[in-house]
Amino acid sequence: MMMARYEVAATVVEHQRRAANQYELILHAPPIAQSAMPGQFVMVRPLRTHAPLWRRPYSILRANPDKGVISIFYSVQSTFTELLSLKPIGSTVQVLGPLGTCFQPVRAARRHILAAGGTGVPPLSFFAARLIPTLQPDEQVLILAGARRRDLLVGLDEFRALGAEVRVATDDGSRGYKGYVTDLLAQALEEPIPSAVYACGPNRMLKVVAALCLKHGVPCQVSLDAPMPCGIGVCLGCAVKVRLPDGGVWYKRACTEGPVFRAEEVVWE
Amino acid sequence: MTPNLQVSLGRLQLRNPVMVAAGTFGYGVEYRDLVDLSQLGAIVTKSLTLTPRMGNPPPRVAETPAGMLNAIGLQNDGVDAFVVETLPRLRAYETPIIASVAGESVEEYVRVAAKLSRAEGVAALELNLSCPNQARGGMEFGVSPELTAQVVAAVRQATPLPLIAKLTPNVGDIVPVAQAAVEAGAEVLCLINTVLGVAVDVRERRFRLATKVGGLSGPAIKPIAQYHLWRVHQALPEVPLVGVGGIGSAEDALEYILLGAHAVQIGTANYVQPTLTLEVIEGIQRYLVDHGIDSLEAIRGVVQ
Repeated sequence: MMMARYEVAATVVEHQRRAANQYELILHAPPIAQSAMPGQFVMVRPLRTHAPLWRRPYSILRANPDKGVISIFYSVQSTFTELLSLKPIGSTVQVLGPLGTCFQPVRAARRHILAAGGTGVPPLSFFAARLIPTLQPDEQVLILAGARRRDLLVGLDEFRALGAEVRVATDDGSRGYKGYVTDLLAQALEEPIPSAVYACGPNRMLKVVAALCLKHGVPCQVSLDAPMPCGIGVCLGCAVKVRLPDGGVWYKRACTEGPVFRAEEVVWE
Repeated sequence: MTPNLQVSLGRLQLRNPVMVAAGTFGYGVEYRDLVDLSQLGAIVTKSLTLTPRMGNPPPRVAETPAGMLNAIGLQNDGVDAFVVETLPRLRAYETPIIASVAGESVEEYVRVAAKLSRAEGVAALELNLSCPNQARGGMEFGVSPELTAQVVAAVRQATPLPLIAKLTPNVGDIVPVAQAAVEAGAEVLCLINTVLGVAVDVRERRFRLATKVGGLSGPAIKPIAQYHLWRVHQALPEVPLVGVGGIGSAEDALEYILLGAHAVQIGTANYVQPTLTLEVIEGIQRYLVDHGIDSLEAIRGVVQ
């Protein structure tokens, strides 16, 4: 059964500056705000242009059903994001969503490890906000966040405000551990607590995350990125190689059977 | 006065000239919550092969200026799954279903066509003679008048359904291929399929598609498609033509009709504007009303 999805002319409520050239875009899109689940995404089109042609997929960072707003996170670094950044408050952008699969809390786990690399924070921030209020007293959430430099780390205060423990890694050591977020994960998985891992970031990071979880026998869900022309399952552009229950391989669609996959299902290449 | 948008493509009757292009609308049912499928002129399915095909490795798509390259590689569940699982759901709509047929050999085209002809609810077959994303078949047939004639004639023997041949622009002269397809029994010609191209990633210093070469679609190819359509219409004025390539508005669609197309297909634009088909139908209607024209026939091919 297909989940409900909506094509909405969403009103721009605010562009909130979050870091150097990074913004949280708040959009009024009530049907999407009411049904969005953590891990899902929206396809965004700021203007009817031929170049850029495609819509872009954005993970949902926040959804407030009562106010009817969602937000997404963008950094100004391309023609598309420039066009998006120039949308005035009160104007509309076409938004299609919510789309795709969501993170599923593993109820047997006592510790939920949310591992975010680079621009992978938004879906995990949304997930943490929905997960933490439902935790049992003996459950905890551990956030592992990695970025190239200190100024590229975003959203950490929100994780802390939710009461989660946050561990940070930067490639250049400008904040926290000097190294990769996957190093932090390797350390955390040595601690004897039944854990589950939920990860979003570059695919090369997720490949390492998946291997670590497999080694430790820890359930792992990953949100994968792929070029995505349509977002609704028809173009077959966002192919992800998976292993089928019968042992064969096939290409699934990141937009429809994903973006959140069970890590052991993915054939990492 | 409501103008009459009905068109005849040989034996195939459409309520309006706006169809969706093969491979850009899934099997049709994928869009049912976003588009009222019963408003469309026809639905062309993604190309069907005899057995399931896994498709090409990723990356399979790359955005380019006003267009995109794709090398999906005909990923599909095979003709049997289509007939058993998808076709019954499509029969609920009154919109004609045109099944796109692909193959690596003449025999595969024939067997797929025969299976579709036995199924209930297929209004016509569109032969994909021109998919560039296959190791064998597809494109190889479409670039040669002789091979095109061979496939079309063989399928003609195997099906009573109306037959549409979809042509490739990747030839020096498209007219001999068009003539060969018609002489072998194609009642309708559809043009064009994607244009061969490559794209390069300068940071990684490699091709942006895993297969290196892909098919270009989108607004960038509209002038190429219109050139071929116009030439074929001049050479074969009696043959109903379906124009496809870069349509993103009613105006684009009307341009094709003015150049001689009976109908049009919307392809890549479905990805960025899922409801575009309905907008184009409405826009064509409005154009006819505004100009006091009562049918499409009055303007078809007037740009010579």
